[in-house]
Amino acid sequence: MNWSWDYVSEITPSLLQGLLVTVQITLISSVVAMAVGLFFAIAKMSANRWISRIAVMVTEAIRRTPLLVQLYFLFYVLPDIGIVLSPLVAGIVGLGLHYATYVSEVYRAGLINVPKGQWEAARACNLTGRQTWTQIILPQAIPPMIPPLGNYVIAMFKETPILSAITVLDIMGEALAQANFSYRYLEPITLVATGFLFVSLCSAAVIRLLENQLNLRAA
Amino acid sequence: MGLHVAPKTAEQSPIIEFRNVEKSFGAIKVLDQLCFSVKPGEHLALIGPSGSGKTTILRMLMTLESVTAGDVVVNGVSLNHEYKNAKEFPASEAHLRKMRSDFGMVFQHFNLFPHKTAIQNVTLAPVLTGLLSKAEAKKRGLELLEKVGLADKADEYPSRLSGGQKQRVAIARALALQPKILLLDEITSALDPELVEEVLNVITNLRNETDMTMLLVTHEMGFAKDFADRVLFFERGKIVEEGPPGEIFHSPLHERTKSFLRKVIAAGQRV
Ligand SMILES: Nc1ncnc2c1ncn2[C@@H]1O[C@H](COP(=O)(O)OP(=O)(O)OP(=O)(O)O)[C@@H](O)[C@H]1O
Ligand SMILES: [Mg+2]
Repeated sequence: MNWSWDYVSEITPSLLQGLLVTVQITLISSVVAMAVGLFFAIAKMSANRWISRIAVMVTEAIRRTPLLVQLYFLFYVLPDIGIVLSPLVAGIVGLGLHYATYVSEVYRAGLINVPKGQWEAARACNLTGRQTWTQIILPQAIPPMIPPLGNYVIAMFKETPILSAITVLDIMGEALAQANFSYRYLEPITLVATGFLFVSLCSAAVIRLLENQLNLRAA
Repeated sequence: MGLHVAPKTAEQSPIIEFRNVEKSFGAIKVLDQLCFSVKPGEHLALIGPSGSGKTTILRMLMTLESVTAGDVVVNGVSLNHEYKNAKEFPASEAHLRKMRSDFGMVFQHFNLFPHKTAIQNVTLAPVLTGLLSKAEAKKRGLELLEKVGLADKADEYPSRLSGGQKQRVAIARALALQPKILLLDEITSALDPELVEEVLNVITNLRNETDMTMLLVTHEMGFAKDFADRVLFFERGKIVEEGPPGEIFHSPLHERTKSFLRKVIAAGQRV
């Protein structure tokens, strides 16, 4: 099988369209993961034992089952009970919820790593609860959270091809559609890999830049 | 410094009163029917073996720890209860905040805010609590840093200060809210020996130049003796013996106090 540049230029527009969808899914799922993750983290750290126990059970259950199974559940099983989601919505919900469980751990670790003495000093300084959070705790908790959160975003990005299993036309979905049509896999899949590599390298560079900024400020 | 005009007389009403205070952590009773009071302007040293409840007493005053039973009364007002229409309620956060404003605390491990410079550590609380404007807080903060000998370190972050310097910033931070009562919990025990003196000198100056009430928990018996008007010796959450430092350190009445001091002297301390 030889490489055909003609075929490459023919499929590139639809693959770029797919790449755009992939990036969009990643960004929206990241927002979902960070918002739902915050909710999970608060629930897990709740003083109410029942709330925290249920939150731990739910997040463990989500984390310990494969994403692919969860996507099938959202897309093919939920319609049986009358909940019909579009492939895109099911994909974003699935990816976002799955990663929310990891993100919640990042939040939790970040908060727990702020020493107890900081809370006590804030109390001794007679700060209000709100001032303690905004002035003392979050400014110390957030910077160390950024690199792991960034890495989860990249991990989500790399995991989006799995959404083609529920017919999402992301870059992988587009490539498979092209390949099914022409029976050529070499060019579409190579282009998909190149696209992922390119975006991953760029975002890793951005994260490293952010990290350096944070280290500079911490020093 | 808020100046007390009232003369220090024997009958003066206490600034702090512990009334049958009990504190338990789970099944462990840490303070047991504890009663003592402190007069305004008094310098009190709390000594005793590890685990005797000294830190817990200071933490209760700073409202970092609640009271299991009994009452802690500050300036005649209960720390842990509030009264509305002659009915007793547990203290609300608003009540606690009002009560807290009389206290400043210096911790064993400094607990400076690492993301703030020395001067920001000192000005943060007076600005956020509305005590001073930004400009006033800055001016007073620099005076306080000057007083603890760190005017030149105002813009340094804690990570670039020595232990002794950190602790002196922490003292300035505690003073910034102009407390009437200063709580000092083993403030030199996390320091290298050669840095202890610079911190103790600051405390000695405060002791001599202000009329703040000061409660000092310490294992430095020599310093306790010079510092205190009165010494309380604790064991297992109870006061075994109390009196002026001369008596406690040189002619203690109780066998427990004697054996504690013998151990301390055996460990190489001057008493
Ligand atoms: N948060 C807590 N949970 C459980 N037990 C505690 C807690 N805080 C203190 N204790 C226990 O209460 C007792 C008194 O502690 P405290 O810190 O007041 O003693 P201390 O006199 O300050 O001792 P040290 O000289 O070692 O600092 C100890 O037995 C300690 O283990
Ligand atoms: Mg202690």
